Amino acid sequence: MTQQQNTTNPAATQGADTTVALGKGLDIGTANLAAAVQNAEGGITVTVERNAFLDIPSDVYSKNMLTKLKVPYVVHNNKLVVIGEAAFELANVFGRETRRPMCDGLISPNEQDALPMMKLIIQKILGEPRVSGENCYFCVPAPSLDVDNNVVYHQGLFESLVHKLGYTAHAINEGHAVIFAELAENDFTGIGLSFGGGMANACIAYKSIPCLSFSVARGGDWIDKNVANVLGCPRSKATHIKERGIDIRDPKSREEEAVAIYYRSLVGYVLQNIKSRFESGQNMPSFQHPIDIACSGGTSLVGGFIEIFREEFAKIDFPIPIGRIFRSEEALTAVAKGCLVAAAIGES
Amino acid sequence: MESVNEIKEALSARSRTATLDELRSEGRRKVRLIRAEHVAAMVAEAVHAAIEQSGLIAPEEAQRLVERSRQEFRAILQQREQEARRAQEVEQNLAAREQELHELRQQFEQTAGELRDAQAELYRVRAQFESLQEQQREAAPAAGAPTELLLSLVQQMTNLKASLLTQQQPAAAAKTAGADFSAAIEKLAGSLNDRLEKLGKKMGVGAAVGGDAPVDFSGMFKGADQALESNLDGIEAKQKAGGGIASNLARLKKLKGGG
Repeated sequence: MTQQQNTTNPAATQGADTTVALGKGLDIGTANLAAAVQNAEGGITVTVERNAFLDIPSDVYSKNMLTKLKVPYVVHNNKLVVIGEAAFELANVFGRETRRPMCDGLISPNEQDALPMMKLIIQKILGEPRVSGENCYFCVPAPSLDVDNNVVYHQGLFESLVHKLGYTAHAINEGHAVIFAELAENDFTGIGLSFGGGMANACIAYKSIPCLSFSVARGGDWIDKNVANVLGCPRSKATHIKERGIDIRDPKSREEEAVAIYYRSLVGYVLQNIKSRFESGQNMPSFQHPIDIACSGGTSLVGGFIEIFREEFAKIDFPIPIGRIFRSEEALTAVAKGCLVAAAIGES
Repeated sequence: MESVNEIKEALSARSRTATLDELRSEGRRKVRLIRAEHVAAMVAEAVHAAIEQSGLIAPEEAQRLVERSRQEFRAILQQREQEARRAQEVEQNLAAREQELHELRQQFEQTAGELRDAQAELYRVRAQFESLQEQQREAAPAAGAPTELLLSLVQQMTNLKASLLTQQQPAAAAKTAGADFSAAIEKLAGSLNDRLEKLGKKMGVGAAVGGDAPVDFSGMFKGADQALESNLDGIEAKQKAGGGIASNLARLKKLKGGG
């Protein structure tokens, strides 16, 4: 499905190519940032970077060493700040926690000085606009059911940032983006779920029109936090256990058992909230035929996720007739792809 | 006991029943009576004597066998009695449960009746509420008077506040009143402010005005505009190739009536 490409600076390549369709999609996730663009072969290219950084003491030797090792860094406030995936890897090596610019799906109030770093990462993955004011759709979470979050500030902040980079910025709901990416065959009717690092976003749409959107503030980070608590290890270690290719249906150790337990709990929590929200929702459309559920997001990448989801779904009496339940083939990049669809349709 | 019953059965099988009149007609005026227990004792005595005479089993052995048989019989009898008691207890418990079930059924019927009444009441109240809503909607155009009244009230309170503040200035200039009086006036003015604010909010005429203009957060990135030293230009970003979006776009255009 996905494959690595030998591409150098995306800013340079994307900026040079004006033959492909315009419009870019940007997934601003708590754990990962992803930018999607159409390529000349008729497919899409998604540039992904982890939304994390780690500061280390600045000296000439370290700078040279990081450059030789191709580890991206920025010098900020006299500190050497390693950004992206490398920060995560270094944190694991040194047993430290990475700094995270976002928390629970929104910009973190505790990491205000992380904005310059986020701007640099977004600038790097998004590249220059190919024409002035090119459309860029970026995702925002829906209002949360379980925490009081300020989506307006978050949306306004990234609108300003994307605008500063030379794009015309548009916000799109994260769950809605999943529907644009995954439910084309169903005429964009169904339920789109995005299991991200900080939140799980849900959207139900009828013929591409969103009827109901909401989020819950539990995601991969919630699993990491709880696994780290029960195992007594740093969160980045818990993330590593989760992402090393385990199957939550068949945990092989105490650590994997803990991850599997919290995964099942997360899925159950999300489903119960969706059910409850749909049951209490007014003016909900009535569907003549069963609708599909599309799951996506980095947290859904773990082995056995969709089987556990189906098992937990079978335990509840869901108020809407459901047909297929499936995970996106490109779960990590589905939101960015959905944003790109919205951007491209806006350009046409 | 067993042997007595068997003897009774044997005697009834091998005898006939006759009424007193029949016996009288046969010329019998008296009959001899013997109890079944006596017959059993005679049989037992005869059996003992026969065993004794046969010499097959020693008298002590015969006595031991009889005693063992009696013990076995008593044990079996005790067991049967216990079973009978247990059966009786089960029967009593069953009767008690049936009684409880009956009572629960009665309670359920009573609760169901109450629920039906509550539902009926709910429907009635809802209908009443909808009717009132309808009336309110119909009366809405003519609802200007109370709003005007409230606005007038707000105006009066504003005037009162202004008047209090005006009175406060000469008082302060004369410096005859104490500081306590000024504090009281300020407190009263503050209280009036709060009340005006609350009343205004209730009426939807608060001091705040809604702005439709988007909030500009670009100032948040002032620090980010500085050129930071980095090696990002020389580092490759991780890229993934994905399936195209042509079919998605075609479907969307079709939905929007453009394709």
